Amino acid sequence: MILVIARREWQASFLSAQAWTLLAASQLILAWIFLRVLEGFSGLQVAQRKVGITLELSVNLFSFTAVLVLLAVPLLSMRILSGEFREGTFNLLGSAPVRLTEILLGKFLGLAAIVIVMGLVPLEISLWLGLATDLDLGLLAAATLGVWLSGLMFAAVGLFASSLTTHPGLAAVASYGILLLMSVINHTGGVWSGGATLFDWLAWNEHLFWLLQGVVRMSDLLYFLLFTTFFLALAHRRLANRRLG
Amino acid sequence: MDELLSVRGLGRRYGTHPALAGVDLQLRRGEVLGLLGPNGAGKSTCLQILSGNLAPSSGEVQVLGLDLIHSPCPAKRHIGYLPERPPLYSDMRVDEYLAYCARLRGVPRWQRAEAVDWAKARCGLADAGSRPIIKLSKGYRQRLGLAQAIIHAPDLVILDEPTEGLDPVQIREVRGLIRGLAADCGLILSSHILSEVQAVCSRVLILRDGRVLHQTRLDRDAQTPNGRYLVRLERAPQLRALGALPEVAAAEPLAAGRFRISLHPGASLSFLAKRIVESGWGLTELTPDRTDLERVFFDILGGESRGGASGGGDPGSAMQEAREPGWA
Repeated sequence: MILVIARREWQASFLSAQAWTLLAASQLILAWIFLRVLEGFSGLQVAQRKVGITLELSVNLFSFTAVLVLLAVPLLSMRILSGEFREGTFNLLGSAPVRLTEILLGKFLGLAAIVIVMGLVPLEISLWLGLATDLDLGLLAAATLGVWLSGLMFAAVGLFASSLTTHPGLAAVASYGILLLMSVINHTGGVWSGGATLFDWLAWNEHLFWLLQGVVRMSDLLYFLLFTTFFLALAHRRLANRRLG
Repeated sequence: MDELLSVRGLGRRYGTHPALAGVDLQLRRGEVLGLLGPNGAGKSTCLQILSGNLAPSSGEVQVLGLDLIHSPCPAKRHIGYLPERPPLYSDMRVDEYLAYCARLRGVPRWQRAEAVDWAKARCGLADAGSRPIIKLSKGYRQRLGLAQAIIHAPDLVILDEPTEGLDPVQIREVRGLIRGLAADCGLILSSHILSEVQAVCSRVLILRDGRVLHQTRLDRDAQTPNGRYLVRLERAPQLRALGALPEVAAAEPLAAGRFRISLHPGASLSFLAKRIVESGWGLTELTPDRTDLERVFFDILGGESRGGASGGGDPGSAMQEAREPGWA
């Protein structure tokens, strides 16, 4: 039943122009960044090159992809539950022999599929370079994994925000609010020097950084897993509370 | 007849406000139960609970012996639900939507195409399969809502105000559909329109402020439910003369020129009308008297009941609405 709902979400995304536009815009923007990285790298003397082209791509192209995903996911997810509440179509799911967990995971998977496609765009662009030079495929895989994990966490946040309200616009604002807070929470400016480690740990970009460097640490994987599960659990609680009124 | 639904002590509170309190009801296969009551009486809350969309604050609901509250999934397999607003995805086509509903309701893959065709044929959508839902008229949207509710051939179908907002032709179509469905399963529908319930229900339960006020079985085959009529005569005779007519069992004077009469069982209304006309009493009105159901209903609505029943004044528009489809 999870796959039935996920498929419906996937189809709904691509029936509208939204997903296509986002993917097209991502492709265009990332291609531009790719060219800038390539131009900057090829303009340097060999002695001036401190890192390889793969790391340059990882740090610039993939990190920007994560930002694009952060901007796109609230737009993709804002209607996913709040739209159903608003249009009354959630009654269809609520009266079907489907558990709330299945509904939620179906919606999450539908969203995750788009995030995964978006995460493949920089990989696809980078792999074209493989025709001309040797690439560190391990590094590209780690960076892609980082973008995917970040995107899945963003999707869980978007799903939770969408469960809070019947207004899709409000859901998008709530998503941006949570995600931006999790982006800047480590910018304490020395005020919270004692708790800096905790704030650093809470910021998603700190964890993505290591993956973009090609370092796959268990602590970073756990961070994304923990927060994805946390926001899905909150969304589940919200749906259960809605049923309880 | 086997029991499809058993509800005991159903209650639901929103904060301190009791939306539903102590509702008991049973439904058997072949029955159409109407939940009747004014807006805010608790009808939709009751149906939302019965469809599994809302958790009750108290009470128990069993569908074919399966506990809907504690193990909802097995019970929901036997339920079809049409909410007040049909739950339609406007970005889909009719066939796609019904196929999705069939998958959601657990219809096996090899039966899905057949189920979609069957539901479409049943609801008059056979030619609408490729139409985008966004382009459907309100009547067609309601039919599609009904089709999704029956696509898995449920034992219990729950319809929340199924004819709300439809034009008279569409209302007649939807009522026809409901009557057709009742042969195979049990139906519960809610309405705040008496005629709606009278037209399609075999039993009625009147709700007000979340409580069951009245329950009765409707005999739609009878000429009138209680064999009583109101007569208005231009040249009213002595009461004794009216009571002496062979069809009349009892007569009771109301306001000037109006009488309530009870007929002998099997007496012909047309013969009675002929006799009154031949007597030269100037027959201007011969209408079925209000039933107990109507009285209770209008008491709930705020009391036009007594005035009308006692013969004072013309029936209001609500009353005309109540009589429109008739008991015939």
